[in-house]
Amino acid sequence: MTTSQPILTITGLRKVFGGVTALDGIDLEVREGEILGLIGPNGAGKTALLNTITGFYRATTGSIRFMGQEISNMPLHGIGRLGIGRTFQNIRLFKRMTVLENVMAANKRYVRSSFSAFLGVIGGRTALDEARHWIELMQLGDKADMLASALSYGDARRLEIARALAGNPSLLLLDEPAAGMNETETDQLVADIHKVQTSVKAIVLIEHDMSLIRSLSDRIVAMDYGKKLAEGAPDTVLEHPDVRRAYLGSDT
Amino acid sequence: MLAGQILNGLVSGAMYALVAIGFTLVVGVLDKLNFTHPEVFMLGGFIGLVSLTYLPLPWAFVLALVVGGLLGLFTELVAFRRFQSSDARITAALSSLALGLVFTDLVHKVWGTEQVPLPPQRGWLAGTFEIAGVQFLNLQLMVLGVTLVLMAGLHYLISRTRIGRQIRALAEAPVSASLLGINVLRVKQSVFFISSALAAVAGLLLALRSDAANSEIGLTFALKAMAIMAIGGMGDLRGAVLAGFLIGVVEALMFYFGWGRLGEMTVWLAMIVILLVRPAGLFSGGLHSREQRV
Amino acid sequence: MISDHLIITGINILMAWSVYLVLLTGSLSFAQGAFMAVGCYAAGYLTTVLGMPLLPATLIGAIVSAVFAVVLGYPALRLKGIYLILATLGITFCVRVLLENLEFLGGIGGFGGMLGADLPAVAIAVGCVAVLLVLITISPLQRIFDAVREDERVAASLGINVTGIRILGFALGAAVAAVAGSLYGHYMSFVRPESFDVLLSIYVVLYVVLGGVNNMLGPVVGAVVMTLLPEYIRELADWRPTVFGLAVLIMLLFKPNGLLSFRAVTERYRRPTKSATSGSLEQQSTPGTAP
Repeated sequence: MTTSQPILTITGLRKVFGGVTALDGIDLEVREGEILGLIGPNGAGKTALLNTITGFYRATTGSIRFMGQEISNMPLHGIGRLGIGRTFQNIRLFKRMTVLENVMAANKRYVRSSFSAFLGVIGGRTALDEARHWIELMQLGDKADMLASALSYGDARRLEIARALAGNPSLLLLDEPAAGMNETETDQLVADIHKVQTSVKAIVLIEHDMSLIRSLSDRIVAMDYGKKLAEGAPDTVLEHPDVRRAYLGSDT
Repeated sequence: MLAGQILNGLVSGAMYALVAIGFTLVVGVLDKLNFTHPEVFMLGGFIGLVSLTYLPLPWAFVLALVVGGLLGLFTELVAFRRFQSSDARITAALSSLALGLVFTDLVHKVWGTEQVPLPPQRGWLAGTFEIAGVQFLNLQLMVLGVTLVLMAGLHYLISRTRIGRQIRALAEAPVSASLLGINVLRVKQSVFFISSALAAVAGLLLALRSDAANSEIGLTFALKAMAIMAIGGMGDLRGAVLAGFLIGVVEALMFYFGWGRLGEMTVWLAMIVILLVRPAGLFSGGLHSREQRV
Repeated sequence: MISDHLIITGINILMAWSVYLVLLTGSLSFAQGAFMAVGCYAAGYLTTVLGMPLLPATLIGAIVSAVFAVVLGYPALRLKGIYLILATLGITFCVRVLLENLEFLGGIGGFGGMLGADLPAVAIAVGCVAVLLVLITISPLQRIFDAVREDERVAASLGINVTGIRILGFALGAAVAAVAGSLYGHYMSFVRPESFDVLLSIYVVLYVVLGGVNNMLGPVVGAVVMTLLPEYIRELADWRPTVFGLAVLIMLLFKPNGLLSFRAVTERYRRPTKSATSGSLEQQSTPGTAP
């Protein structure tokens, strides 16, 4: 089930903006088959890390190797095509497009070749079927023709995941997918993420919901001030004194 | 001869500079392109035409400044007031384009599409003077003189007066400026007034040099000033002036060496290169410092 | 003569569509006049000097124009918004100056002797481009275009080569403008570089603004209204630029969201396969639905 092959290796990653150091020398590994939880207080650098991995930020120094390739200087679309998919903390759906269209736009074959996307007009069925597969996986089947802007918060987050999956990524990065969800939705999300796990090689999950992180993650990395505080099994990390101090105060 | 051509170039450059200043002011403060500007320049010539029929030359300048300024206020109201957000840049550009079309058509309706000669200028203006055996026109001297005076005035306005400080504040930090109690609308209106007044005077100067008011020069002469603005750096006042004179001289020299017809292309090519390679402009140090690339 | 009006209207429709094609990928181009000129001169050269028939000459002209667009687009399309507007204006000026200086193409005096474009030719061209646009609209490629317009960076993170898409749109627009140019030249039989100046590029953009950008019919409406109507309403013809300018101003004032706010794609064409599949998929897939 879990091989310990790393698919993403980050070494000495630093990201500096003018006077602000968002990432201060991060060493990290994501292994095949695992769900890696990423926790830390606001401003710890979790989203900055995601942004740097996916190419939204360019690393100041350091190396990011994905599936054996150095990606720290790759353009956004190169990284996307290599097989890294992500969602966004503040939800960046294509608002004026429907649920179905959001997912169709991310179709693995069509993003790579405009020509095949154009020819898709003949085999229109395939494009729709593939999109529907992901939509139904995330329980949005009955909302396929709704505008993305009309979705509820929880549905919107699930659509982002479906869209990210449409590219058949090997690595899926989820940035606070449970934010704004109630308990029922969160439970459903746990089940969805387990379902999703069979389609990807590894998942990195940023979350503030401690019970969610604890139940989903195989390993957890805790960050603060752009640095890694602790790493290891969920219970170990969550009990770690530095982590508790930085993040949890005196709560459990 | 060469000296004469260079002077010619400086004279054209002066007019380019006046128009480019107007473009760059609006870009720097409102972050928008004002496509009505070239037609206000064009109208300057016709303001001159009308006023010179009844009044002496100095009054033509005054009227150009005032009526030009008012046209600027009108432009702001019609084409820009509704589109103040930064998402509406293209919409504002398009509406100012449409307004420009209307201005040009109105001129065509009144004066036709051919050039209209100005009332002949007698006296000092028609004279010449000589330096080191080279003949120069008094007219050229006047153009340069008027331009220098206007630029000095503008410099004083921007750096020493309250409205100038407010303009600079709005250009550098739009959000903070309004929070500091600056009347943003008033400042924007001033910017339009100033830039259009300068454009109208420039149009008057060109009409005086050509001895005629021409309704087509908006697109043929003044639009080039947009490229010049970009070369000097969008939002960079000093850059607009320097680039204006530079391009004026370069064009004159190209003409002198027989490459005249490629002159226009040079300006636009230079603009494209600058936009891609050095977007802050040749003389970086602008009011406008936003990132325009992906 | 009504056929003359229809020919010019058809050519304007093609030009408006050329602006629309570039707009689909999120760029507003004022260079369509330049591409029209390239198509006209290229095809014109092929027919008059090399004796080629109109159709292949036009197609080659379209290809030449598209290649030109790709070469120019690679640097130019790194710019966006008002900077791109300036760059495309620059392209228009440069092409015109270039043509004025190429003596073998007639230089500033113009180029003539082109014959062969008539109403059926224009109608066929309009029909073909219409079909192309419909196919694009109902194909997955349209979703890619929409994604690029909606949020470029997110689209890129999905693996979409955004610059490539924008160049594609630019090249398609250039090709259509070239077809229009070839038809124009072979209809007028004589053209000069100044026929393809900045004012033309501005006008065709404004056709699209006037007609709306929600779908491919908007540009048609804009082009038809401003080309055909003045032929039949005298006051409109006399005051064409003023009416046009005012109409555009009013359009923009009532649509403060601006030019690039395409309405929801749901209002566009339904894919023909959708109604066929939706029934069966619905039954299998929606949980909890009573059979």
